[in-house]
Amino acid sequence: MTDAGQTSTAAPAGLRLAVVGKGGAGKSVVAATLARLLARRGHHVLALDSDTLPGLSISLGADVPDDVPRNAAAERNEKGRWRLVKGVGAARAVQRYATDAPDGVRLLQIGKTDKRGLTPNRASHNAFYQVVHRLDEVRSLDDWVIVGDLPAGPRQTAFDWAPYARRFLLVVEPTWQGMLTARRIVRIARQQREDAEFSLVVNKVTPEADVARAEQFLGVPLLGTVPADDDVRRAERAGVALLDLAPDCAAVDAIEQLADTLDVRNIDPI
Amino acid sequence: MKIVVAGKGGVGKTTVSGTISRALARAGHDVLALDADTNPMLGVSLGIGPEETDLLVAVRQGLETGETEHERTTEGFVERFGRDAPDGVRLVVASRIERANPGCTCCGVSPEGLLTELESDGKIIIGDLEAGIGTIMRLQEGHADVVLVVAQPTAKSLNIARRAVDMTDERGGRVILVANRVRDDEDLAVIRAAVGECEMVVVPDDAAIAQADREGRAAIDVDEQSPGVKVLIELADRLASMAVAA
Repeated sequence: MTDAGQTSTAAPAGLRLAVVGKGGAGKSVVAATLARLLARRGHHVLALDSDTLPGLSISLGADVPDDVPRNAAAERNEKGRWRLVKGVGAARAVQRYATDAPDGVRLLQIGKTDKRGLTPNRASHNAFYQVVHRLDEVRSLDDWVIVGDLPAGPRQTAFDWAPYARRFLLVVEPTWQGMLTARRIVRIARQQREDAEFSLVVNKVTPEADVARAEQFLGVPLLGTVPADDDVRRAERAGVALLDLAPDCAAVDAIEQLADTLDVRNIDPI
Repeated sequence: MKIVVAGKGGVGKTTVSGTISRALARAGHDVLALDADTNPMLGVSLGIGPEETDLLVAVRQGLETGETEHERTTEGFVERFGRDAPDGVRLVVASRIERANPGCTCCGVSPEGLLTELESDGKIIIGDLEAGIGTIMRLQEGHADVVLVVAQPTAKSLNIARRAVDMTDERGGRVILVANRVRDDEDLAVIRAAVGECEMVVVPDDAAIAQADREGRAAIDVDEQSPGVKVLIELADRLASMAVAA
């Protein structure tokens, strides 16, 4: 092996997260707020949205063109398997198809379901899948922070939609449904990726919530808790970014602390 | 009669499905509760407990490893992948997590396929669907008599609810919007503005339901008199009268 920083097999230095959990647990709010807070600290941040329903762009407060022509990025080969179009590697796909979000975050979205269903977006989905599977090869992203927001439940984890992730951030409400979902995700992710690391974020914590129970049940270290916060409710109701509506609220404070911990653990100071 | 319950993840589909199933069974109906979510949780809301719910899911997952034998008939399917829940509800887990299509071809199971194959025969079948609108898009006439679309006062869940309502309307199906966790007039105004004039049931934000979620119990077992649970029991009555009329 040569100098680790120069070889193509070296693991990228930046923080690479997949945010997972049950539907409604607050994955997008945590992912988006974390992405923007890390960007404000000077990191290059790529946010990945692999949910075919609207979510991350709303929580980021990003304007996204209705119809990004990502379908152009993938084609079928002679055996019918999807591949990225020649000349469009993962690096170029990110460069070409990611869009601007507030605080300098770059957002790469999967094709969204519309009235015509998912079929018209099949090429986009396959392109997205190809791109996330090749992010580790993209040298220009080596020092970037990657925050992936996955759709509800264990499904995408089971189909390996977040191979870039060094760490799975389990966003869990202190409910049994939340805990069972997280346990299913952990089991599946561990089967697929022996080296995957997990951190627990208990969200919407009320005085009645039992955070220790969730930690024990999952056997995953607690990264932090985020309180139940009426400002989050208001932001979600209005369909705006929490950071724009209530930059000083308790939930943002708590996510700032998550950023502190992750930043120290995983990223060299810039 | 066949009822399906749809909506964004975390809006309360499973609570609605579980509570209505229990209420209908208590009223003397023969109820089959079909968990068609790839993250199956209906057992928790029906009141069989979290670990029992996961055991049932494990039986379905066991098909993958050969620990569970395949089943070719619908009756056998209900037998093998089901169990009894309180008040006599029969719970069946239809989905598997690690499958490209929910269910397996040998069992002939997709949520919509199962809804077609299962005979009502005087039964009330309640299907708790996967988060999102995938299954709703694939539903055809005859798959469901009533679609319950659950939403919360959030922009994201209302975007999805709106689409589910429109799609069901276009098919000519009956749709009822279940507005869940409503706290105040502003919540209600946001919901009305998003979905327009459709048939709607308002479930107030409810401490008993929150407690049920924390404790892994059925809301109807925590407090059947709580405001949210009461609305759902009334909705079950209404659905039952539709079943009789049909």
